Amino acid sequence: MKTDASGEAITDAELVRRGREGDEIALGELVDRHQAAAFRVALSLVGDGDLAQDVVQDAFLRAFRGLRGFRGDATFRTWLLTITANTARGALRRQGRRREARLEAAGPVPAEDMDPHESVAVGEAAERARALLQELPEKQRLAVQLRIDEGLSFREIGDIIGSSEGAARVNYFHGIHRLREWME
Amino acid sequence: MTDVRCETARELIPDLVGGRLGAAEASRVAAHLETCADCRAEAELVQLLYVARPQVPESVTGRVLAAVRADAPHGRRPWWGLAAAAVAVLALGIGVASRSGRDTETVVPGFVAQGTSTTGAWVSDNGMVAGAPALDGLSDEALQALLEELESNGTGGSA
Repeated sequence: MKTDASGEAITDAELVRRGREGDEIALGELVDRHQAAAFRVALSLVGDGDLAQDVVQDAFLRAFRGLRGFRGDATFRTWLLTITANTARGALRRQGRRREARLEAAGPVPAEDMDPHESVAVGEAAERARALLQELPEKQRLAVQLRIDEGLSFREIGDIIGSSEGAARVNYFHGIHRLREWME
Repeated sequence: MTDVRCETARELIPDLVGGRLGAAEASRVAAHLETCADCRAEAELVQLLYVARPQVPESVTGRVLAAVRADAPHGRRPWWGLAAAAVAVLALGIGVASRSGRDTETVVPGFVAQGTSTTGAWVSDNGMVAGAPALDGLSDEALQALLEELESNGTGGSA
């Protein structure tokens, strides 16, 4: 992570300020920090790894071109992920297709101190949980994913999925409740 | 040590699993999980989801950075560039006006939107609207009641 002269991590707001002035290093740092979250949101919506990469690239370009219009009343991350979600939906519309079930989830990472048999069982359960996540309605799926994968607050999630903070919370717990039922 | 209620624990489980809590709060939530089978089961599900989250391909960084560099310089444009942009915006506006209600666009917080807007409905995979319009119309009290109803349906409280 990029730090300033005192060793403190440079905030996104500062990187955005530098990016507005054309500082490519600052823009690169923003890409480095947020590309994984953007990729997961895109993948969840389009269901295809190659298309998700296109979406991420397009979303960053749109975000950087619009830096001067970014008022800063949302965090850069929330703003970028909202653009990513919109870009993903646009990509699907252009292609005239729905999200495919085919998802390229990375293999689960088993705990190091787990015995091999247990590790395989956990890996299979994790893959199943992740596959079932994709069966949730879009708002519930994104609420669960953004809360667990990215650690976003319900307020941030609400901004991204286009709902209130309370509705984002309900969508999250609805989704978790359903997944628990399906996993039993 | 202050005991943590189920409601609080369930909100913080994703942060505990993701290592995003401070040491004191993490130990309080972990202590709750030791005594609450229901929250522990939820934590196990969240852990499964977290460890299997998709990882970003290494190629993405290079692609995005190359595209950013290849893109037009940010900000400073010559006067003729601004004029061309203004013409494009005017043309887009005329196009949008003539197509009102036929396209979709979602408002991006903190961003000047480029495009048109209609319902913004989030259609789920099974063709149903994914709960949002109904939820968004509810008051905070109604949402809280819905949450409590959810918690009482199949997921009990502390052991």
